[in-house]
Amino acid sequence: MSVLHYDKHTNSFLLGVGANLYQLSENRAKLLVKCGEAPETTEKEEPIKEGEKAPRAEGPAYITGVATCEGRVAVISNNKVVETFDRDFQRVASTVAIKRATSVQITDKTVVISDKAGDAYSYSTALTDRKYLLGHVSVVMDMILTPDLNFLITCDRDEKIRISHFPNCYNIHSYLLGHQEYVLKILLLSPNLLLSVGGDQKLILWDLSTSQPVQTLPSPQEDYITISYSPPYILACNSRHVTVYKLTDTTLTQTSQLVTDHDIIDVASSDSRVALLTREPKLEIYQFSEGVMSGKCEVEGEIDLSQFKDSVLPEKKKVVRTAGFAEYFERKRKRIEEENLKEESKQAHINLQEKSKETHLKG
Amino acid sequence: MTKVKYPQKRNYRQRAHSNPLSDHSFDYPVSPDVMDWTKLYPRFKPENEVKFCDIGCGYGGLLVTLSPMFPETYMVGFEIRVKVSDYVNDRFLALRQDNEVYHNAGVIRTNAMKYLPNFFRKGQLEKMFILYPDPHFKKCKHKWRIVSEGLLAEYAYVLKVGGLVYTVSDVKEVHDWMVEHFTNFPLFERYDPPAEDKAAQVLIGSTEEGKKVLRNKGQSWTAIFKRVEDPYVKNCAGT
Repeated sequence: MSVLHYDKHTNSFLLGVGANLYQLSENRAKLLVKCGEAPETTEKEEPIKEGEKAPRAEGPAYITGVATCEGRVAVISNNKVVETFDRDFQRVASTVAIKRATSVQITDKTVVISDKAGDAYSYSTALTDRKYLLGHVSVVMDMILTPDLNFLITCDRDEKIRISHFPNCYNIHSYLLGHQEYVLKILLLSPNLLLSVGGDQKLILWDLSTSQPVQTLPSPQEDYITISYSPPYILACNSRHVTVYKLTDTTLTQTSQLVTDHDIIDVASSDSRVALLTREPKLEIYQFSEGVMSGKCEVEGEIDLSQFKDSVLPEKKKVVRTAGFAEYFERKRKRIEEENLKEESKQAHINLQEKSKETHLKG
Repeated sequence: MTKVKYPQKRNYRQRAHSNPLSDHSFDYPVSPDVMDWTKLYPRFKPENEVKFCDIGCGYGGLLVTLSPMFPETYMVGFEIRVKVSDYVNDRFLALRQDNEVYHNAGVIRTNAMKYLPNFFRKGQLEKMFILYPDPHFKKCKHKWRIVSEGLLAEYAYVLKVGGLVYTVSDVKEVHDWMVEHFTNFPLFERYDPPAEDKAAQVLIGSTEEGKKVLRNKGQSWTAIFKRVEDPYVKNCAGT
């Protein structure tokens, strides 16, 4: 659940707490708008398949993702509402997704969402014209629309990172295979370099031209929570550590590590600042320079963190469920053993009979 | 000489339906580069490649028929049910003892919906078979169907351009569903195989399901599709 977002177009951070969207610039927080309001059903219904009902907003409304482009901001909420705002934070369009969205991307021509069912859809900027783009068999955990708009990159709970052409996403370009648990987050560092973290506690740097990992780093401490990128620095967060790496060419080297007092929920970074949301809940802003975080700053302005909604990592898969089948294989082994014994004793009996026949004939 | 013991189906009975969306514990390679095919085919060499895949191979009837027809081609069946895949495994072990052939066919217990790209590189397969897939009639089970818009992208990925998908069903609704999905998908086209296509001829008679349908004088519908180039790329050549 990505609730902290660095908006490079305005050099500020956007923060979603509960249903409220805040902007943080120069350590001052300002409430922008309340999100997640279900749109009134209007005549402009999305095309519905026969027998299916129009999706309806359901569940508590809290922000689960934010994306920005120059003229617009897109917000996805837990109650399936997808909205876009202009730069004055006036709501421009809203719609209800078929399933809860897990990620959102926006450009001046399109809005793309991925959802809990593993599907990705595109919409026009007015959030009409919903088109099915692709489907994973498990939940899509993160998604990137490449800046050149040529590829849509999605990662899922089945350890896969899939690179599909865009908008012809039915045409899969390649897979990045190497994680051994869910892939939690992906970042495009350059047209040829992708960074990913997964439930296998690995941080992997991928060369997109060969689809191969170029560097794999194990987690310094347990599970990854999130990653962030401010060229040339990468911030990788575990629950109590922020490890900063510098990217030189295609190699990552650690430059610093910060230990936090509370569990980290989300992080976002700019060239000079790092915003950290912890489970306390607390919002912390740090100075960021030469790959080192320092000088925690106080955030001025009103942020109601009581509405904060915690996030949870997915369950890991490596639970062995062959209990029932262990029994089957045991029974099979016994059966084969018994059959062999029967065969042997039968053969022994036949041999004995042959022998006695012989002796009888001879005698 | 010990007589080769062929497995008997009554020792391998299992419920027909299995939830492909849940996390059973499977053995699958992280990527095709690290897959050790010699575990399945003792004579497999580094320059060999698996070219045919039977998705949901059941008790192995199609593979047993195709194996001697294409002795130079390596082929594999994917089956999600433990006991059924175990049966096929034992069947091939027995067949290989009795015959010089059948060394080119084997089975893997896995989930074809999730792990095709783990086993096969892009464009590796020449033929894919989807014979008598589970209809999953109920609306709430449609997402368990082996043919869907989302999965077609994966089938197109593992199949080479020009590769073929063979489908059969004795349930008209399932046949129509597959035809509709494949023909509406930009990377597949309906294909009429020439008379020389040996695989097309054995689609119905070779599997246990198919033989059952023939015995009960039921009807089977077949449809074959060819993997084609992406039309989108061609249209945008000028931009």
